Amino acid sequence: MGRRRRCRVGPDEATRALPEAIAALSRTLPAGPSPETFRRAKFDCPEAAPALWRLLFRVLSPGPPDGASASLSLEAQARSVKSALRSQGYPSQALAQLPDNGSQGSRQLLLALAWLLARGPLLEQLLAQSRVRLGDEMPVCECEALASPGPPAPGMGEAGHVDIRHLQWLMGKLRFRWRNLMASQQEQCALLGQIHLYTRGCHSDRSLGHLSVTETELLRDPEGGRQLLRRLESENARLEAALEWRRREQVFWQWMDTVLGASQPTFLPRSPEPGARELEPVARELQALWEQLQEAVEARRAAWEARVGDRGPAWSAARRALDEVVGQDLAALQRAWEPGGGLTQPHGPRRLVRTEAGAPGGPGLRAPEVIEALRTQEAHLEVVLRQLQGHCRQELARLARALPGLIWIPPPGR
Amino acid sequence: MSIVTVQLGQCGNQIGFEVFDALFSDSHCPQGLCSKRENEAYQASCKERFFSEEENGVPIARAVLVDMEPKVINQTLSKAAHSGRWKYGQHSCFCQKQGSGNNWAYGYSVHGPRHKESIMDLIQKEVEKCDSLSGFFIIMSMAGGTGSGLGAFVTQNLEDQYSNSLKMNQIIWPYGTGEVIVQNYNSILTLSRLYRSSDALLVHENDAVHKICAKLMNIKQISFRDINQVLAHQLGSVFQPTYSGEGSWHYRRNPLGDLMENLVPHPEFKMLGVRNIPQMSENSLAYSTFTWAGLLKHLRQMLISNAKMEEGIDWQIRPPLSGLPALSKMSTNKEFHFNTSIANLVILRGKDVHNADLGAFKDPALYTSWLEPVHAFNVWKTQRAFSKYEKSAALVSNSQFLVKPLDVIVGKAWNMFASKAYIHQYTKYGIEEEDFLESFTLLEQVIASYCNL
Repeated sequence: MGRRRRCRVGPDEATRALPEAIAALSRTLPAGPSPETFRRAKFDCPEAAPALWRLLFRVLSPGPPDGASASLSLEAQARSVKSALRSQGYPSQALAQLPDNGSQGSRQLLLALAWLLARGPLLEQLLAQSRVRLGDEMPVCECEALASPGPPAPGMGEAGHVDIRHLQWLMGKLRFRWRNLMASQQEQCALLGQIHLYTRGCHSDRSLGHLSVTETELLRDPEGGRQLLRRLESENARLEAALEWRRREQVFWQWMDTVLGASQPTFLPRSPEPGARELEPVARELQALWEQLQEAVEARRAAWEARVGDRGPAWSAARRALDEVVGQDLAALQRAWEPGGGLTQPHGPRRLVRTEAGAPGGPGLRAPEVIEALRTQEAHLEVVLRQLQGHCRQELARLARALPGLIWIPPPGR
Repeated sequence: MSIVTVQLGQCGNQIGFEVFDALFSDSHCPQGLCSKRENEAYQASCKERFFSEEENGVPIARAVLVDMEPKVINQTLSKAAHSGRWKYGQHSCFCQKQGSGNNWAYGYSVHGPRHKESIMDLIQKEVEKCDSLSGFFIIMSMAGGTGSGLGAFVTQNLEDQYSNSLKMNQIIWPYGTGEVIVQNYNSILTLSRLYRSSDALLVHENDAVHKICAKLMNIKQISFRDINQVLAHQLGSVFQPTYSGEGSWHYRRNPLGDLMENLVPHPEFKMLGVRNIPQMSENSLAYSTFTWAGLLKHLRQMLISNAKMEEGIDWQIRPPLSGLPALSKMSTNKEFHFNTSIANLVILRGKDVHNADLGAFKDPALYTSWLEPVHAFNVWKTQRAFSKYEKSAALVSNSQFLVKPLDVIVGKAWNMFASKAYIHQYTKYGIEEEDFLESFTLLEQVIASYCNL
């Protein structure tokens, strides 16, 4: 567990400091349990377990909480926590072996929480997730969506008879939803554009110039304004709690050392060794394979060169041209797949600001650049799609030839 | 979100007018049975979807009118302008001097390409007036010349140019004993092309609507106007605003999108039918009261027995017992068979709508085996009454409703094709025998898919 050792805290202050530190941590976390729960967890009391399962579920779920994830049963949440910890590389076996009903294992859960806290900027990430956003925002890259695939779908029923028509129905439904989503997004953009246009000159911040939807609602509906104020106040409270936690966390880590000591010794220090011993022969195998591959590649290349032979200067010129084209294609491929499509600015959603035509505009991305980058990605994806469709058609044709006497009627498509 | 309507041919333009009129009248109806605030929200939602604003306050229908001859378009424009309540845009119509003589191939291969740019330009202008586009309605007949051939061409172009927008074709299914000799050819050519380029085909059968006028509305001399008004009433009861979800008081932003997602995601099953209840003349309306239980019971039996209206329902037909195969395979001997659904959407409007019990529609026996009722059945509600009906219910169904009529048309067309009757009218303008064969193949496949539910 990484933490910095600084000056020791005196005993009196220590007794006060620990509950306060834990309280600060709890106020920073979403759905944070009371300091008493933490204390119980050190002694592995079962009453503390459900609250900690729920806390870990909330901490490990990607994105802000929605109705669907909040209504999951404790069991489902526990399973989700286990799988999320596994995918993050949590080394303890003991947690994976806890029962799913969420009734035990509070000490293990406490250790897991501390592991997550020590490992990375967990609190900062959680605070960023639930930030109050005043502007109208739009994502410029797909990183968030791709990185968080969502909770695992409930197990599909018996793998028995599946009617292909049902699958076609579902595919069609998906396509319609996609089209409807696009129409909704266009509608949203049109309406946002109108609001931004109408509220020109209303914003106190000159560089923004116009109001966002949230800000407009603030003016129209005083109740909305009060709600926004409450949200901002609660966010402030969490931020202050986070700062306090940073001042006091020393004490918490010292206490966690004692928790670690109290838990069973089947923890970290032992695990790397057996793994390391297992890895050596695998590493050697890989090395041998790689060497074999190198030899095979050399042989093949030599054979090709021999076959191509020397066809004269025209050939080598043509070949250089080919090399260039391939090189360009590869470079384009790479550029298209750089995160953000080659945009150099950081990821995440951006606030939309509408400027007058000809005005210089503020910092941040310009819409034409983003559009250009997206178009490049789209063109590339179209090419890949055509190739895949071509492969499918070839495969279908091959299957059709393989079954004589069968008449294939293609579906009514284009 | 807005819907742009393309009215094609005589049929499309006359119906289109009645649809906009019905929507406007309903949204300004004083007997909405709800609070003033709710009524205003309803009006605003309907207006945004179907009308755009003009300086002097008269709403303009979001529509493009297309016909090869000027007579019907001029009539439609002046009828709307005369009412003083709403109108069509001055420059929203396209017409030529001559008709196409009910020749599908001429409409598709000659008129279409010749006037493509002008028509698509008009549509583009209408689209640009929308803040956000939900999709297109294309109102057309299936059997005539201009509406059907040109309609198929325009729908294909909409698919090319607006591939991400939704397209629903409102198709008028011709009378069985129709006047146009080649109406079956036109029908199969239209349907096969629309099946490829449209997202949903909402079918209105002339025969069915005619019966409603005769039996329920007690109209003696049934004119096309009467038929169109019943049709418009049906469409209005589907597309007027509804709440966006259980317990929500906001109106749904994208009913077209929600409808398509729930009813037609499968590419082989795109045919939809509409039923609504109750339907009666205004005079009778004042003396009638309804309960949700009664209305829904009738509507359910209409679904199961493929009845077109609430009179003359066959109550003998029952859902099959679980475990036994449904009696739904097409059989020329059996006259009565159970109508299996893929997916259904029920729309309830009026008083006490939240107390309506829809359990009977969630019976798995109503649906095909590969889709469970929880996915196959959807309900939309609003407290606001529709068009002076204290309670009304509409059903949009993706089921075996249209298998038999389609089979009949394909059969008749095939018989004509076998003797190559009238084919030269089509080959003259570039529609070859292969095109006919492709159409037959596609439609036979659709029939087979629906039969094998």
